[in-house]
Amino acid sequence: MLYTKVIDVKEKRLSIAEAEDFISSSVFGASIFFSGTVRNQNDNKSVIGITYDSHDALVIKSFKEIYNEADQKLNIKDKAVFVEHAKGYLNLGEISIIIAVACKHRDEAYILSRYIIEEIKKRSPIWKKEHYSNNESNWLKGNPIVHEKN
Amino acid sequence: MKIILELFGASRDFSKNDYLEFEINGQTSIKEFREILLTFVDKKFKGNTDFKKIIESSAFCSEKNEIISDNYKIQKEQKIGIIPPIGGG
Repeated sequence: MLYTKVIDVKEKRLSIAEAEDFISSSVFGASIFFSGTVRNQNDNKSVIGITYDSHDALVIKSFKEIYNEADQKLNIKDKAVFVEHAKGYLNLGEISIIIAVACKHRDEAYILSRYIIEEIKKRSPIWKKEHYSNNESNWLKGNPIVHEKN
Repeated sequence: MKIILELFGASRDFSKNDYLEFEINGQTSIKEFREILLTFVDKKFKGNTDFKKIIESSAFCSEKNEIISDNYKIQKEQKIGIIPPIGGG
């Protein structure tokens, strides 16, 4: 069971409560909620906010691929996964990503949650532009996406 | 034929719009299109080295939302997305 969305923060904010509603089930005994938030320092620079950019269709595609791979690579069959990522400008402390997972047991839930965020970092086309207290801003360098197909 | 290049991430600094338009020959490969973009940076931004690095390190995405390699031939008018190095989450 999977729910994914890229949220334009001009329209709404990410909500842990919505994630909890989606993964709640008596079938599962373990739930993990991960949220990424905007931090006030990076590379010794004073950050005041981040603009997130996204190729929405590719991001959703990557989230689905990561979810499906969990079946094969991690052998975690029974699970509920909620993944939302923000798009647009966020202030300090605001949530940029929520990954909520529910599994039968805690070992699976921890492994799955960690797997999803690490794969998103490598594969999902999302970009960050940091804004600093000195009025400058900068796109973060990131890592090249893997070429998948000819 | 006309190609609309959709801009994402750091490549958004290439234009005030969300896209750029290019007129290219049929059967242009992504490798050749990358060269066209480098020439564009030479002309429009005086060879800005940061912009050139973005182009050299970017992947490209077809209008079917598939990452396409340097060998991919652009055979019809379409939108192509430039995918600079990623780092969200």
